[in-house]
Parts: sequence; C-alpha cells; structure tokens
Amino acid sequence: MDRRDALAKMFGAKGVRVNTNRGDEYYDSLRKKIEKRLSELRNSPAASKVDIEKVLDAEGLSRRDFMKWASATCAMLMLPASFTPLVAEAAELINRVPIVWLELQDCAGNTEAILRSDSPTIDELILETINFEFNETLMVAAGHQAEEHLDEVIEKFAGNFICVVEGSIPVGAGKEWCTIGAKGETFEEHLLRVAQNSAAVVAVGTCATFGGVPAASPNPTGAVGVQDIIKGKPIINIPACPANPANITGTILHYVMTGQVPELDYLNRPKFAFGYRIHDNCERRAHFDAGEFVEEWGDEGAENNFCLYKVGCKGPMTFNNCSIVRYNSGTNWPIGAGHGCIGCSEPDFWDKYAYERPMADANIKAPTGGVEKTVDEFGLGLLTAAGIGIAIHAFASAAAGKKEEV
Amino acid sequence: MKKSIELIEKIEGEAELHCAYGTDGRVVDAQIQFTSARNIEKILQGRDPKDALIINPRVCGICNHAHLIATVRALEACYKSVKISQKSQICREVTLSLELIQSHFKWFYLTIMPLLGFKPAIEKALKPSRIAAEAIAAFAGQYPHNSYAIAGGIVSDITPIELINAKERIEALKKLFKESLIDADPALFKECDKIETMLKHRGDMPLAMAKIIENGWQMMGKSEDRFIVFAEGAFKKGKSIGTRVSTNISTGHIKEESIKRSLAKRVLYKDRGYEVGPLARAMLMKTALIKESHRKYADSIFSRILARVCEIPQLIIYIESLLHRLDLSEESWIDPGEFPKRAVGAGVVEAARGSLVHKVEIEEGVIKEYNIITPTQWNLGSGDIEKPGIAQKALIGLKNSDPIELVLKSFDVCSVCTTH
Repeated sequence: MDRRDALAKMFGAKGVRVNTNRGDEYYDSLRKKIEKRLSELRNSPAASKVDIEKVLDAEGLSRRDFMKWASATCAMLMLPASFTPLVAEAAELINRVPIVWLELQDCAGNTEAILRSDSPTIDELILETINFEFNETLMVAAGHQAEEHLDEVIEKFAGNFICVVEGSIPVGAGKEWCTIGAKGETFEEHLLRVAQNSAAVVAVGTCATFGGVPAASPNPTGAVGVQDIIKGKPIINIPACPANPANITGTILHYVMTGQVPELDYLNRPKFAFGYRIHDNCERRAHFDAGEFVEEWGDEGAENNFCLYKVGCKGPMTFNNCSIVRYNSGTNWPIGAGHGCIGCSEPDFWDKYAYERPMADANIKAPTGGVEKTVDEFGLGLLTAAGIGIAIHAFASAAAGKKEEV
Repeated sequence: MKKSIELIEKIEGEAELHCAYGTDGRVVDAQIQFTSARNIEKILQGRDPKDALIINPRVCGICNHAHLIATVRALEACYKSVKISQKSQICREVTLSLELIQSHFKWFYLTIMPLLGFKPAIEKALKPSRIAAEAIAAFAGQYPHNSYAIAGGIVSDITPIELINAKERIEALKKLFKESLIDADPALFKECDKIETMLKHRGDMPLAMAKIIENGWQMMGKSEDRFIVFAEGAFKKGKSIGTRVSTNISTGHIKEESIKRSLAKRVLYKDRGYEVGPLARAMLMKTALIKESHRKYADSIFSRILARVCEIPQLIIYIESLLHRLDLSEESWIDPGEFPKRAVGAGVVEAARGSLVHKVEIEEGVIKEYNIITPTQWNLGSGDIEKPGIAQKALIGLKNSDPIELVLKSFDVCSVCTTH
C-alpha cells in the first residue's frame, strides 16, 4: 500500500466516524421519547431523599452554574443544544433510578476516581444524589447487614436498577480464591445473580470491560470482563484506567433520559465518549502535523510540549475523549504532563500498548485493523523528514472533508 | 469457645475477620483473611522493567502513587548510580505527600467518624481528596493512576502556571484542615505537647478524640509497641521499640511468611512483627504531641488515630518548604543510560498506611522476580497465638462489646493492596 494511502486510511478509518447530525426527524422523535420518559420518572417516587437543587444550594452553586454544566454535558452526549433543558431535567431526576455498584477483582481506582478523587464539581454532586443502593465503599452498613440489604434491593427493584461493575472476574483455576460475602460466592456467581435482575449492566474501567491488568499475560487468575460472563442484558463498557467520571455520569444520565443505552461501538463503548481517538483532538496534534517530536525525555521538544508519538504515545490508536474532557476537574491529563497515552481504554493494552516502546516494536494490532502498524513502519520515517508533516496534514484534512460530505 | 465471623467491608475490597471468644467473652484469637487476588507479581515476570511503572500503580487505586514512586525507586536502585535533579525529587515528594494527605482525610471521615457514632460527612472527605488530587494532577497529569515518574526523573516540564494551580490547592487544603478537622494553625503542631491544649480547639478531630475518651476506649487496641519506618523524605527511617530508637535498619532483613487460608502474607523484620504507619512515623520523629499521647495511652487507638490526623499539618508544612526550594529551570530528566541487563533493586516509600517496599530482580533485561510488600501486610498479617500479628495482638483480649471494628480499622485495612 502506498504510504500516503495508508495515512489517509488511518485518518479516514470507519471507527473515527461519529454521526453528530442525524437530522430533524431523528431529533424530534428522540425529544418526544425523552419527554415521555422524564414525565414518567417525575411521577415515580424518588429512590433517594437527596435533591440536586438543595445540594447545589448547600454548595453555593447557582442555577446558572448548573445550566452551564447541563449544556456542556449535552454537548458531550452529542445532542443538539436545544436538548439542554432535558439534560438538566434528567439530572434532577437521576435519583429515581437505583444503582447497585459491585466491586470485584479491582484496585478500587474507579470508585476512587468517581466518588472521591476527581470529576467536575457538579458531576460529583449529581453522583451524590444518584441513588447508590449498594456500594461497599460508601454505604454505612457492612458485612451481613450489607448483604441482606443487597438482597432486598435486588428484589425490590428487580428489572429496574442499573448494575455498575468495577473489576474483572476470575474464571480460571483457583477462582474459588476470590469470594464475596458470607456465603462465599465466587465473583462470577455474585455478578450473575445481581446482573440477572438488573435493567442494564455498566462495566466501568478496563478490568470490568476487558479484564484489564489481572488479565494481562499470563493471566494467573483467568480474569475476564463482564461481557464475557453476562449474556442477554444490555452491556455498556466504559473502559480506561481509571474510567473518566464524566463518561460514567454521561452514560447513566443517558439511560435516565432515554431509558436506553447510548449508541455503542463494536466494543460496546458509548460512541459519544469513544468515537474519537485521543490523537484527533490532542492539544499537541499541531506538533505531530508539523513533524515536531519529543525524541527523548527532558529534551528541548519536551520543554516545548512537542508530540509524544516517538516516546511511545498511543494516542493515534486509542479511542477516548481524554483530550477533550481531561482529568481531575479538567486540571490536567497525562499528555498535558508530558507522558504519552498508554492506550488504557483499549482491549489487552497491558500486553500490546504498554510503555515507552515505539509502536513499531510493540506488536500492536490496532482497533482499525492494523493500519496503524503500517503507518508506524512506513510513517515514522516519513514523519521525520522535514516538510512531509504538512502533506500528512493535507491528507488528514482531505479525509475529514470527505467525512463531512457523507 | 464460640466462633464468630465478621465480614469487614467498606474497606477497599473485602476481608474477613474471624474472632474466637473464650468463656469469659473475650477475644482469644483473631484471624484476618483476604479473599481475592490478582497475582500482579506474576504478571510482571518476563516484562520490560519499564512496564512496571504503568502496571504497579494499578495494584491499588487508593495508594497508587506510592506504588509508582516505590517502583521508580526500585528501578533506579538497579543502576550503579542515578542522578536526579532536585526539581524532580521535589515534585515526587510533593505528589506523594499530597496522596497521603487526601488519604488521611478520607480515612478519618469515611472510616473513623462513623465508627465513633458521628454522621458520615462524605463531603468533608471528598472535598479535600478532590483538591489534593487536582494538585497532584497539576504535576503528574491525572490522579489516580499516573506514570509521570521514570528512572532519571519525571516526564513533566512544570510551568509556573501549573505551580500556581498546585499552590492554590495546597492553600485550600490548609483552609479545609482548619475549617473541618481542627481550628488551629499547622505550625502549632510542631511544638504542641499537651493533649488537653489540642482538645480545647474546635473541630472534628478534637470531637472524635474526646469521644474516644468519653467512651473509655483510650487504652484499647494496644499492640507490640514496636515500630518501623523504612523511607525518609518527610519522615525519619529507623525502628523504635517502645521509645528506644535505632536507625540502623535494612530492607534485607524483611521476610514474608505465608498465612494459612489467606491470600496475603505476613511480614517480619528479623523474625519480629512491627507496626508501620503514621504512629510509627511519629514515634521515629519524636513528634511532641504523639509522644505525649504514647506516654499516656501507649500504642492504643487513641495514639494511632491522633498520629494519622496530625500528619496532615506536618505534611502541609513539608510541601510548602519543598515548593519554596523548587527551581523550575532545573532538568526534569537526566539520562541514566541503558537499563542494566542484570540487577537487583529495592525501593521504599511511606504510603498513607505505612512502609511500602518494592523489590525487583532483573535478568536478561526483563523482570525475573518482583516482590511487593505492603503496609497492610505488616499491620494486618495474622500469625498464631504464640506470635500474633500487630492488629491481631491489638484485638486479642477485647470483649464483644468493645469497639472491635474500630480497633481493626485504626490500622486502616486495604485488601486490594495486600493481596495484589
């Protein structure tokens, strides 16, 4: 394949295409559906006593702050701006949908990310009003009492609650070493029992989605993701290590709003968050296009925030919205701190995308079918040649232009 | 003899506490077991040593940064010599200290306060955690789980803007400390040596400490009265038997022992168990207030809880003095050269719950063995009745009506770390 064709294919690859304009007819019917759903929710009893208005008040945040958040979230969900009031309403009604949060074979990093350590203030407040019927870390009950509570929740909200799962599930030899609760259920049994009764399962973090670090070679415990265990239930995968809280709130909000799972890609990831590559919106992208790279840590390129591709950044093959949403209330993100993307939202990234290795050495089969490898083998030499970067840019733009016409 | 099983959730991950009671209704044996594992040490075998910098923070979402810094120190120890600029040294210390601060806040408000009968104050835990995490992110990109430290320094080139962002948040943490924990200036903690003086101040910490005394629990949870601290920086290295300090210790004497029916291993130093964590650190540093508490209440839950909360002002002062010396024009990374094909190295840090040790063995350029020894293993690893573990010893002798859970959690259980 011609080098330029390869590049054009990379930037025009199908996975990159997210249809952000579906036409009036689609949005009109969606609006009607959402309005109906929200009015039903409004008439149903609140599952938790916390009210977002009061919480905002207590925090000294105005209605205006809240609407600003709603409009940003609306954009993140790739809905037209006119849907902002509906997003706001859904956020107010989020306490009508009970959530059970299970921690399996994990490091608690996602709970940490979402419930404690980061997320924009309002996202976090909304999560506070979410009715976490069961979360080991947050609830007051413990031990047997907690277990009874879980049984009650499953029965009372059967078919209506969202089951959020953090952590992978060991199914290999010695799986009986991972047990939960006084009955000594294996993680698999526990997950099956809870998920069976849920409305939908949200797998949060790369362990729950694709097995994550426990599944890294040689996968000593035979760890797998939720989608390998649960069949016949809607599953939404929100990978990344840790998953971005904005994406978790966004997904839950989408479910509250529509009663449906958001549009997913072939790995069951919501397209609103995983429809683009890190690379597509990276703040250092201009340096890539101009052929300006960090050649080694601490060099002049590093001081000038050049592109990290050559020190192993996996941004060009990683689908996630970190470059837009960032982390810790938007304070920063890994590339902002000068570390390349490690591809943490892709399956098997521990074995394929790991550290600092230039991609050509990393034996990567990229999500778009290996195109990236071609680009790496041919492209890297190409990129270093002066002036060629501009040609790439031209190709990328051409591909983007074509996309819009479709 | 009656057996009872208590499940201890609400810690990170799950563990089981099995208490056996004697005829007098007192605990005669307590076994702490951990019921899940991921075998991360096995996953590391055969990998490029640099991969450990990404994988290891994932051992624990709670003290991920401590694991990163321990890893980078272990890798640097593999070289004959590594030069690190003062700038990257300072950045690493600052982000590490910030992780400790946010963990102390969370532990106090989410674990200790509810056990003392106070209403859970989630926002008082979440807000400082969020702010500290943002300050870490200013240096390191994100929190939890970043990999900004590499052998030879750090990857980030901090600009004055990021520094201002971080400093603003450190100020905010100071304010929160005064507003919610104790209405006193951090500097006061340097010299204050009267518990009564401390308790006179307004705030949730004096409330909690007064509650412990009111309940008559101040002497509970005493253990071996042996302490050990491996890493320096904000703290002092050494061991302390009672108040007798010796600074001559080495990670070479650490030994892990398997525990029956549990996935965790216990840890001994020259065949003896030691307590690690904030109380141990305060004993080594001879912090006036904690020494006074130790004199009055020994190594009880009172001293343990007080020591952990009092680390917050100490760390804030430490961070401020470090940032004062920070020179942004220094190099972020100094090339340490080719990674050795064959080497061994150990790295230690003080994580929120105590000393964390990483040991690595490199052969043919890849990891042959990797060994992670976590603070919870030191404190929670169970032994037998003749040679009980630290927490085990603290539990034995308690009555069923005593605050068994509080004694256990005064060590702060982290099961994900422990079984890794």
